Amino acid sequence: MSEVRRKPAAKTNDKRAQDKQSAGASLQKIGKRKRLSSWGAHHQLVAVETLLRLLKNPLASLLTWMVVAIALTLPGALWMALDNMQQFSGRFQESGRISVYLQPGTETVQGRELTQRIDQLPGVAKTEFIDADTALEDFRRNSGLDAALDFLPENPLPSVILVEPPLQLPHAELMNLVTQLKSYQLVDSVQMDMAWLERLQAILDLSERLIWVLGILLALAILLVVGNTIRLAIAARVDEIRVVKLVGGTDAWVRRPFLYTGLWYGMVGGLLAWLLLILCWVLLQGPVSQLAELYGSGFTLKPLSAGAAMILLLAAMLLGWLGAWWSVSRHLGEIEP
Amino acid sequence: MTQGNSNVMVRFDRVGKRYPSGREALSGINFDLERGEFAFLTGHSGAGKSTLLKLMMLMERSSRGQIFVDGLNLSRLRPSQIPYLRRKIGVVFQNHQLLFDRSVYENVALPLQIAGYTPAEAGRRVRAALDSVGLLGMEKRNPIELSGGEQQRVGIARAVVNKPPLLLADEPTGNLDPELSAEIMNLFMRFQQVGVTVLIATHDIALVERLGHRRLILDHGQLHEGHLTAGGQYV
Repeated sequence: MSEVRRKPAAKTNDKRAQDKQSAGASLQKIGKRKRLSSWGAHHQLVAVETLLRLLKNPLASLLTWMVVAIALTLPGALWMALDNMQQFSGRFQESGRISVYLQPGTETVQGRELTQRIDQLPGVAKTEFIDADTALEDFRRNSGLDAALDFLPENPLPSVILVEPPLQLPHAELMNLVTQLKSYQLVDSVQMDMAWLERLQAILDLSERLIWVLGILLALAILLVVGNTIRLAIAARVDEIRVVKLVGGTDAWVRRPFLYTGLWYGMVGGLLAWLLLILCWVLLQGPVSQLAELYGSGFTLKPLSAGAAMILLLAAMLLGWLGAWWSVSRHLGEIEP
Repeated sequence: MTQGNSNVMVRFDRVGKRYPSGREALSGINFDLERGEFAFLTGHSGAGKSTLLKLMMLMERSSRGQIFVDGLNLSRLRPSQIPYLRRKIGVVFQNHQLLFDRSVYENVALPLQIAGYTPAEAGRRVRAALDSVGLLGMEKRNPIELSGGEQQRVGIARAVVNKPPLLLADEPTGNLDPELSAEIMNLFMRFQQVGVTVLIATHDIALVERLGHRRLILDHGQLHEGHLTAGGQYV
């Protein structure tokens, strides 16, 4: 086959065309800094555009937002509950002490003496002696059985020494301490509140694990929901993607609006979840305080901390973005001009 | 990848294309297009005109041989580099591929936005491109309101707005009457006059013969070269 090379046609004096194309046919190079700033400007533009696009179709967007919000509220609420329970059990931990009941009729002086001896024992951080009369006074004040107590011929309560072991005392040493305490003649019985605390702690640990499992499942659900929504968005813009690829749009450029859309789904969903959690707190806080008061406790329900709320929001944004990324990387390659 | 002769805009070197179905769309294609050259690509439908243009855009990869566009060896181009190749090539389609969810201005500005021009700079260029196709003042219209000829001119404005060195057109006058077709061809020739290399695939033989430029003829995947002689014959 012959190769024919011909000279290009001579340029004419078509003034108008030359004015318009004065730079000739060379591809204009753009400075790096200018490119970077226009890259930033494009991010801003896309961020705003995608949000407006979502708001233009509020009902459809709200549906996705609510799904994300509810999927986040569930583990969020459990997390809030667990946080409160831990605070509750922490308070007991501080008072996780040994009650040493003395024989009935033990003199106050003897009790004080024994208290001082116990205070010197290894594995004892703090001691407190409560004589029988003070115990009765306390009971009178707190129980509301004032009138009934007047009928008793004598004080039914024993004197008691409260012994506080240091935190984190090994179990074996604790047991040694208990044996030691039991060996005193004046001691009637020794009670330790540790067993049920350990059980409570185990239950809390289990709950935490359950919340993680639930959280991971719901996070997957968010990925799928956002991914599917983005898939539909991609399908609706196939023509645009084709044209953009034809005129030299990079994959990153094509991906960008969809990634921002996913980010918005996550962020607004996260904000809604936060609102829902505040609503939960407002609704529950009153009854919980009331219940706690009936048990003579000053316990109040804490709302989700600002830090936890931020984590929730960031997680939501990350999930939205990841869902979009997953969907875009699956479907964008299929669309070629 | 640069190549020795910088005067060459497009070079096909023993290029063949076989589709996965086994159909041999192109075979043994050799030709050069020099910078600033204007050529027609003709042939019966199914002769491989669109395939040849697609190879230059890397919308398809060649099965054999080598293609150079503006010094780039296309067979060595990584997928991530394809967008930058396409920015060198303005392309016009028969169905113009305009987006009807945005204005004429936004359609034409798209390649500039992608290439990272500032809005002010893009604005100047869009107006210049629209002026050169005679559509200044239509920026705010939606392309769907325009006539077929006007839509095609918007497509051309979008193809040239980035001042690409190479302009490809696939049946740009396919849907237009002869008068509009001649107008569109005049436009393409004006771009050639300012140094753009132009290759137009068309089966409008009458028009091609009247304009008398270099002609590449595809016949069942084989290329024949011809140009008009005084007697109206192709050699």
